Amino acid sequence: MAEQPSWQDLLDLVAQLNESNFESAAVSYGNISVTLSNSDTFVGGAAAPVAVAPVAAALAAGTPVLTPAAAAAPAAPATPAGETIDAPMIGVFYRRPSPGADAFAQPGDRVEADTTIGIIEIMKLMNPIAAGKAGVLGEFLAQDAQAVEFGTPLVIIDTNA
Amino acid sequence: MTDKPVVLVANRGEIAMRIIAAARRIGASPVLAASTADADSPAARAADRVIVIGAAPANQSYLRPEQVAQAAVHAGAAVVHPGYGFLSEQPKLCELLEEEGIAFAGPRPETLRAVGDKGSAREVAIAAGVPVAAGVEIADVSNVVHLGEQIGYPLLIKAIHGGGGRGIRLVTNPEELQTLAPQAAAEAEAAFGNGALYVERYYGKARHVEVQVFGDGFGRAWIFGDRDCSVQRRHQKLIEECPAPNLTDARRKVLHDSSRALVEALKYRGAGTVEFLVDTETEDVVFLEVNARIQVEHPVTEEAFGVDLVAAQLRLALGQDPELPEVGPVPPAAVIELRINAEDPEADFMPNSGTISKLSWPRGPGIRIDTQIEEGYKFPPYYDSLMAKLIVRAHNRDAAVAAIRQAARNTTIEGLKTTLSMHDFVLSHPDFIAGAVPTSWFGPTWEARKENNA
Repeated sequence: MAEQPSWQDLLDLVAQLNESNFESAAVSYGNISVTLSNSDTFVGGAAAPVAVAPVAAALAAGTPVLTPAAAAAPAAPATPAGETIDAPMIGVFYRRPSPGADAFAQPGDRVEADTTIGIIEIMKLMNPIAAGKAGVLGEFLAQDAQAVEFGTPLVIIDTNA
Repeated sequence: MTDKPVVLVANRGEIAMRIIAAARRIGASPVLAASTADADSPAARAADRVIVIGAAPANQSYLRPEQVAQAAVHAGAAVVHPGYGFLSEQPKLCELLEEEGIAFAGPRPETLRAVGDKGSAREVAIAAGVPVAAGVEIADVSNVVHLGEQIGYPLLIKAIHGGGGRGIRLVTNPEELQTLAPQAAAEAEAAFGNGALYVERYYGKARHVEVQVFGDGFGRAWIFGDRDCSVQRRHQKLIEECPAPNLTDARRKVLHDSSRALVEALKYRGAGTVEFLVDTETEDVVFLEVNARIQVEHPVTEEAFGVDLVAAQLRLALGQDPELPEVGPVPPAAVIELRINAEDPEADFMPNSGTISKLSWPRGPGIRIDTQIEEGYKFPPYYDSLMAKLIVRAHNRDAAVAAIRQAARNTTIEGLKTTLSMHDFVLSHPDFIAGAVPTSWFGPTWEARKENNA
């Protein structure tokens, strides 16, 4: 059983990969997996491919995108009835990769822990949001382009279905 | 609906309460950016709105510039006040906010960079004519004895590119200097990739005296006297006072005039502190560093001069007149502040957390308490141990010492260990009562007390 990586380990990894020639890399330590990309698309890895212009812009500026694909969902301040997937960061929640495109996920969809259900934009950096747990999605509590806080419930999920 | 400007408070604890009060004072609407641990804190309740920016550990919330900047966008903030610590001196937050057209209640990013690194701060100070410790670069590590004669002993060998207290050696005689210089160069080479060294005069019995400054960002400077913060344990300030006691007019003039020159040279924006060592064995006064933020101990200056420095920071950031007066070098009152920490002074100042089961503060003229703790408050384990600041103003220092000693004795905090008993010891000690103890005074004096009691 691998030891749990510290935040510093992850940062070191990002710094190392950022200076290397890899286009993308997926690394797993124990139950945490990290997907990094030096280009504007993710190639393979745990997170679903996400291609959005602002990510490319952010990456061009030299900022790597870090996606903790299987991060534990944080506790929500006021959880509605049933289980929810909560925002793992403050930002603006988007349900689709670009305006007019299909939503990443719809109510009724069956998702796995690594299924992307949306994007949260924080200071122009796009972060794909993984479901974090397997189940069937219910109603979206956060609307497209809604400002969310850390812990804001995004969508209801039935993990017993 | 409201057209009040929104002040985003990017901090926690007592300073969050302080910034909220200042925002109210200028008619603004305070919004708190909080971690989950503080989402229901007294500061959160005092604000008009709370925005949860991240998880409890500071490196997932209060230390993340992009999360704070995003919260400022969400809040529709006109200005972000960073308090002290956390992101207060990080150019990154300031730059992110500038991109969004949101003001930062602090200096410009280039000023933060210029004074943030010790080497560059020393250069800035020298250029502005601020006295610094005598120092000279070592050209040849095998030929250093003449440098020792030039500087005098004891002295410090410092790595020019060192930081965080690393790469510093104390040297007391020429033989040591000759032996240690090549070693220090090799260490500096290994640690910092550059073996460059300089030797600097060492002051083993100096006081910590600092000058409160404020700049309008265009070269105008206000000086609000000085503070003595020499009661320290391991470089952590415990007690601060304004004005610094037993300071000659000549020394005070050097401190104030050189601080003013520094503010003018930097076109410094907002509140800041210029820190000095004031030697007790010679007439020397030397520059330490610039703290480009509001400091924990700012209330002693506010009470002594009757000003609101935090409101002035917010007004300036909002493009308004900071409404500060020109004042003389010495205030008309003496003010002392005690930092009451959640630490056990009998157990090597070990921090502790827990629920405040009983709390009662003294009342009376000249007493101010800056805190967010209240009965039932769960003091969290995630952050620093400062619980409250007890500040007392009186007509002179003797009266202030006597008054704050009684105020501390009339303070009740139950539910966890605090440093109140340590404060009583210091406030009753003849050395402190006499004034002007050096920074090296508290540590051994406190240890000796325990031995005497054993």
